[in-house]
Amino acid sequence: MNRGPLRFGWLDAVILAAVATGAAWVAVAAAGRVDYEWQWSRIPRYLVRTAPDGSLVLGVLGDGLWTTLRLSLWAGVLATFFGGVMGLVRALSRGMPKAAARIYVEGVRNMPPLVLIFLFYYFVSDQLLPSTAVEDFVLARSPAFQGIVSTLFDSPARLSAFLAAVLTLALYEGAYITEIVRAGVQSIERGQWEAGQALGLTRWQQLRRVIGPQALARTLPPLAGQFISTIKDSAIVSVISIRELTFQGQELMAATFLTFEVWITVLVLYFLVCMPLSAAARKLETAMAPWQG
Amino acid sequence: MRKFLVFTLALALAFALVLPAAAKDLKEQLVRESTIEQAARRGVLRVGMSTFVPWAMQDKNGEFIGFEIDVARRLAEDMGVKVEFVPTKWSGIIPALITGKFDVIIGGMGIQPQRNLKVNFTQPYYYTGMSLVANKEKAVEFKELDDFDRPDVVVVARLGTTAAASVKKAMPQAQIREFDDEGQCLQELLAGRAHAWVTSAPTPAFAALDHPDNLFLPFPGTFTREPIGFAVRKSDVDTLNFFNSWITVVEAEGWLEETRHYWFETKDWESRLK
Repeated sequence: MNRGPLRFGWLDAVILAAVATGAAWVAVAAAGRVDYEWQWSRIPRYLVRTAPDGSLVLGVLGDGLWTTLRLSLWAGVLATFFGGVMGLVRALSRGMPKAAARIYVEGVRNMPPLVLIFLFYYFVSDQLLPSTAVEDFVLARSPAFQGIVSTLFDSPARLSAFLAAVLTLALYEGAYITEIVRAGVQSIERGQWEAGQALGLTRWQQLRRVIGPQALARTLPPLAGQFISTIKDSAIVSVISIRELTFQGQELMAATFLTFEVWITVLVLYFLVCMPLSAAARKLETAMAPWQG
Repeated sequence: MRKFLVFTLALALAFALVLPAAAKDLKEQLVRESTIEQAARRGVLRVGMSTFVPWAMQDKNGEFIGFEIDVARRLAEDMGVKVEFVPTKWSGIIPALITGKFDVIIGGMGIQPQRNLKVNFTQPYYYTGMSLVANKEKAVEFKELDDFDRPDVVVVARLGTTAAASVKKAMPQAQIREFDDEGQCLQELLAGRAHAWVTSAPTPAFAALDHPDNLFLPFPGTFTREPIGFAVRKSDVDTLNFFNSWITVVEAEGWLEETRHYWFETKDWESRLK
């Protein structure tokens, strides 16, 4: 149905005026009511600062941002792998594996992530990854190895907590990715499977060459959304004292009482990290449009 | 009958020889598992704390400074190990100690019987008291502690601290709102959503100095007196003894008094923050 070229009419003008006025009123009222002395000049040193020897190092917030990035990256990769496998199991298996996957999804989806993090960190992580064992293992290796581990993950002393956080985040996000992958695979109509079969492909080849690409193209937008969600959800692990961005922000506020400046800076940093991913996801979506079937 | 007696004697002799060996194993195990032994072996003492000005905070270079930090550094130095600080959320600091995330809590923890059921405390190395800072507009007529003990009064305090407990005790009729951070408490007070903020001295006095237009001290001084000690895990006698003795020594030296004076009775350290 062709509705003609897009024009800016009088209704658009009214809506724009209403929204602009509303936003301006909220901003002015908020700024007026809060009796606050803004000290923005004190913030930049917490992002990047000069060390006593003259080199540039990450400040408190910069350090937190770097940890958030590493945390989200590893949790995202692990969650995609885990969710992908579980999603295929749910879509294509029968019996015990399918039931197990369902228990996993229903169990995790119906628990608040904060509670999950607490339980995992205080009760489970010490059984799976005893902190002293992990630390001693890394410290016993060469300095080069320790350097690589510290850059990719976290310093040896904090490695165990970092891994516990990555694992919990991955488990949590994996449940949602499972459902996305399952929906994507199930949305491809049976005709595609049958066509593959008619061509003499095995089930695995059908999945890999016919169904897979189409399912991937369809699930990419929600998957990208889930990845961005992982970055934002990583703020939750601040409760187990992982020195990521939210935790560092709160510590900074406790020490300096620069409440609004720090919160707004943290907000902007999260936005700057998530926005490019959103844009990249959109580009990827357009590129994969021919395969969506 | 003779064989039976010989057999019993042999068994008794075997037990008599084995028991001291078993007792020795238990003693070795206690030593091996004691916190100071493990810290000495690792070469690092891990200290749990929480940010609270001027007890523990980060200076402008991201290094930890504060009263607790100085105490911990001196302790590690005297032990011959390095110190590692593990900043932890206050509401989860005791579970973190119990599950072994760090060795000792040196973070201005008040000695309380309920806490003592879960962790062991050393003798006190400081006595703190709670004081109160109030919002000028909301608490304009209030002059003493009892003025705040009314159902329409809102007092803010940090979650899970002795400050919160002291509010519930001293002002049972007032409404209490608890936050995870002191910064959030200050913000509530400045925004006029609370009448008063209760926390350890000297923070309320500092807050009143920093915001003279909004806040004031209705009455001077503190209304409680609480002992502060290190917290260690239960059943660790060696560690408890070591810390107690250390506190006795540095108190006798006068070092503790000097350090207390610098951090709590002057504001000379403020330049290191900004």
